Amino acid sequence: MRGDAMRGLAVFISDIRNCKSREAELRRINKELTNIRQRFRADKTLDGYQKKKYVCKLLFIFLLGHDIDFGYMEAVNLLSSNKYTEKQIGYLFISVIMNSSTEMKQLIIQNIRNDLQSRNPIFINLALQCVANIGDREMAIAFTNDIPRLLISGDTLDAVKQSAALCLLRLHRTSSDSLQLNTEWTARIIHLLNDQHLGVATAAVSLIDALVKRNPDEYRGCVNLAVSRLSRIVTSSYTDFQDYTYYFVPAPWLCVKLLRLLQNYPPPEDPSVRSRLNECLDTILNKAQEPLKSKKVQHSNARNAVLFEAINLIIHMDCESSLLVRACNQLGQFLQNRETNLRYLALESMCLLAASEFSHEAVKKHQETVINALKSERDVSVRQRAVDLLYAMCDRSNAQDLVQEMLAYLETADYTIREEMVLKIAILSEKYAVDYSWYLDVMLKLIRIAGDFVSEEVWYRVIQVVVNRTDVQSYAAKIAFEALQAPACHENMVKVGGYILGEYGNLIALDPRSTPMIQFNLLHSKYHLCSPATRCLILSTYMKFMNLFPEIKHHIQEILRHDSNYRSSDVEIQQRATEYLRLSEICNPTVLATILEIMPPYPEKQSPLLVRLKQKKPLMEANGATESQPAASGNTDDGPKLTETAIHLNQQAQHQNGLLVSLDTPESNGHHEESTSHHSSSAKKFLFKNSDIIFENELIQVGIKGESTKSTLRIELYYGNKTNSHLTHFSADIFTPGDLQTALRMNFDPIKSTIDPKAQIKQTGTIDCIKDFAELPTMNISFLHNNMLQKIDYAFPLYLNKFIEKAEMDSNNFFLRWRNLDKPNQECQKIFPAKFPMVYNDCNQKLEDFGWSSLVGIDVNAENFCGAGIINTSTQPIGCLYRLEPNKQAKMYRLTIRSSKEGVANRLMELLEDQF
Amino acid sequence: MIKAILVFNNSAKPRLVKFFEHYPEEVQQRILRDTYQLVSKRDDNVCNFLEGGSILGDNDCRLIYRHYATLYFIFCVDSSESELGILDLIQVFVETLDKCFENVCELDLIFHADKVHYILQEICFGGMVLETNLNEVVARVDEQSKIEKQEAGISAAPAKAMTALKEMNLPQKIKDIKLPDLNLNLRF
Repeated sequence: MRGDAMRGLAVFISDIRNCKSREAELRRINKELTNIRQRFRADKTLDGYQKKKYVCKLLFIFLLGHDIDFGYMEAVNLLSSNKYTEKQIGYLFISVIMNSSTEMKQLIIQNIRNDLQSRNPIFINLALQCVANIGDREMAIAFTNDIPRLLISGDTLDAVKQSAALCLLRLHRTSSDSLQLNTEWTARIIHLLNDQHLGVATAAVSLIDALVKRNPDEYRGCVNLAVSRLSRIVTSSYTDFQDYTYYFVPAPWLCVKLLRLLQNYPPPEDPSVRSRLNECLDTILNKAQEPLKSKKVQHSNARNAVLFEAINLIIHMDCESSLLVRACNQLGQFLQNRETNLRYLALESMCLLAASEFSHEAVKKHQETVINALKSERDVSVRQRAVDLLYAMCDRSNAQDLVQEMLAYLETADYTIREEMVLKIAILSEKYAVDYSWYLDVMLKLIRIAGDFVSEEVWYRVIQVVVNRTDVQSYAAKIAFEALQAPACHENMVKVGGYILGEYGNLIALDPRSTPMIQFNLLHSKYHLCSPATRCLILSTYMKFMNLFPEIKHHIQEILRHDSNYRSSDVEIQQRATEYLRLSEICNPTVLATILEIMPPYPEKQSPLLVRLKQKKPLMEANGATESQPAASGNTDDGPKLTETAIHLNQQAQHQNGLLVSLDTPESNGHHEESTSHHSSSAKKFLFKNSDIIFENELIQVGIKGESTKSTLRIELYYGNKTNSHLTHFSADIFTPGDLQTALRMNFDPIKSTIDPKAQIKQTGTIDCIKDFAELPTMNISFLHNNMLQKIDYAFPLYLNKFIEKAEMDSNNFFLRWRNLDKPNQECQKIFPAKFPMVYNDCNQKLEDFGWSSLVGIDVNAENFCGAGIINTSTQPIGCLYRLEPNKQAKMYRLTIRSSKEGVANRLMELLEDQF
Repeated sequence: MIKAILVFNNSAKPRLVKFFEHYPEEVQQRILRDTYQLVSKRDDNVCNFLEGGSILGDNDCRLIYRHYATLYFIFCVDSSESELGILDLIQVFVETLDKCFENVCELDLIFHADKVHYILQEICFGGMVLETNLNEVVARVDEQSKIEKQEAGISAAPAKAMTALKEMNLPQKIKDIKLPDLNLNLRF
């Protein structure tokens, strides 16, 4: 290969290498660029060789970090050459520099199309390579048919098939919506798993892995094939794979891919497949115990790559406790291995194992080793994994030890991971606190040793906990006071200490060592060392002191009057000093006491720390996210008081708002009881409307549109991504629990698994009503946002009235039917107060929107409403009649519903009784 | 998938840059610099994986790298790839280079950037692993050079003759210039 280099190119490169300075290099490059530009412009007769040479030079210049804005046309011209070498360099230029101008794109696409249709497999491969390298939407649209055809056609060469599979995968990744795969191809694509050629099979697994994510049901057939292929490789001796054994490991890459593919599905249900798979996993674990067949690192790498993937699959299946424990023991061995890479991966996989109930205990056995890793590993990325694992393996039994160890490590930890460690320590110590004084000790120590890395959320949270737990308040005041006595005190400590003393300083004031005056002097000794924001907070504390300790009032007033406050250049400080001073002068003690009364408890929701941790680093904190906080039982009803409490000392009030806001955000977790109940009871979405937003949080929005014909409701669901990042692995399922299963038949089209930022996807489907129903289906949405799994469950607002069809009739007919429906269970009557202004047109509209008719001139009283409808179910039509009588004086309604089927009237009543 | 493949030497000079997602030139250069910052500080016997953080824009990025004598080979991948698998892919890539260039050294990467790209294309395709079997890759590369030679034989004969003539004057072929420290010793 060394033979025929292009001489001009070699000379140019040597020139550049000989340049003594950056400037000289730049001059040489500019000279060359001018030269090439001129050549391209003037010399229309450049031959292939010359073009090739210049394009190579441009590539080199690009590599050095200079933008190339010409030469595209020459490169595209090279594509249509019949010579392989010229075509090749043309494609190379395009895929390295990847120009996005559309005119050029059309030309390129045309050239690619020609090559794809050529008979020369090498040209086809070049073209496929280029498609994969550019891999954008236009490519996907242009070749949506050509490439799959190449893939499944019988007479395609293996090498081309391999490329076609990967090319398709690439297009699927970048623009899956513009790539329409014919469902007839599914079976043939799946069967590529059996392909003789290992390269084709490997490429196909990658492709299927991606397709499965979009449409798991369609590709379910791949599980059996994957298991059998895997078993053939794993159980064979390496001599069976003469064609492809990598350092004594048979086809390691294919194995890894197959094991990944299987992680898309639950464990196989078919017992024979399942036992075969278990056998494979068993064998892989056994092989790990065998002595190494080679000293080369490649051998152990390949073997362990397979092993780690097998362990991941075992963790994913999470059902065979024996396998899980074996996996854990294996990882435990790796923790002691000499290879850093293995220790790193073992720590990472163990994090996942810790989340499984079967293996959590087994993981805890390695606590000592992990703590040692934290202390002795030389590599920061390994230590980081150790911290993650300690966090994952923490539970009530070992929390105290682990937190202690992490605190000890924090003092010497790398700066890059300190903030995250602080968050983790704060979360763990709160979550597993049996004794809140322990929690406070930990937190104050945390602030002391890593004050710079304590984010606002952390110290807000400390205060929140103290405010909400009356039993620790005096202890909090005591240790805050002690902490402030340290000569050098972190500003965050001053904030926490200042706040706590302002609220609960009176609880320790009887102690002669911490009399009001001593407290005040201590705090004031820090005052001038602090930033304006902290000073503001301290001023508020002084104000609270005036209420708690009237005896030092005049001291404080003096401070407020002092020029550095009263005439401070900082507006906020000045304003506080002025207002507080005035307040203390004009208010009598009772009023002051009311204004400055202690803070009410905070409403308790999810800890903002978890939110913060998730923002910081998307980890495997699925366990942390779903567990509720065991912290203080706050009273939600106190919420509004926060804003009512008269002067809440501006900045603190702001802080509370900050807290409330950050407390509100974790709604995205959807696991809150509150959010579910909210959606099922108060707002009956989609009841009167044919389109509605049925769910919304800060990440996504779900909209619905429906139209019914007889017993079938056609539905369109819209899932909108409100974030600026992709939502991946998106899935939405509607479940019909219990009786609903026999009442509704649902049929929804598959949806894409990715939603682009600020975009929405649509899902269509039908719901058939087989018989009347009372419960609501549930909807589960899950997706990954910034790598965090988000799960949302809520009641899907599908009410019986969606299947009502209007019925028109005259007065005689109406009353005839009314009288016929007189069995006790056919009627339901209720009197209820009006919730909305009693306007005739509004009521009329609601009744019409509900689905049945509102008939005029039937009732003798024109104020009353009557109407009829038929509920279409596929087993029987159910007739229903109603009469709604408003009583404007009493602001009440009386609603009477009769239906031909028993019980249905009651259901309709439930839907309507709170809607008028 | 593999998002980018970067090769640079101990003093941060890029020797091969291949991105599988589109980034403007200045961003590519920034990524190179950041990666160099992360990797060059690390000892040789620490682990070969490290979190890339937001180097490539999103958070799903892990750097898997190997350091051979003067060169760093870095693959930036997302979480869908097996770490050890990629680590050995780098090995396969380097072994292939070594076979094709007969004792590869940094200079080969500089003077034959196009060839290096072609070899890479046989291994990694649009960000996905195409072929992991060393022999298969070498066979394909050989096939390519055969075609090249054929084509060169027909049309480039005159040009080749000219080159040969001109080169007679050079005291030494440029190819032969080897700086002592540039030998790329494969460490297995």
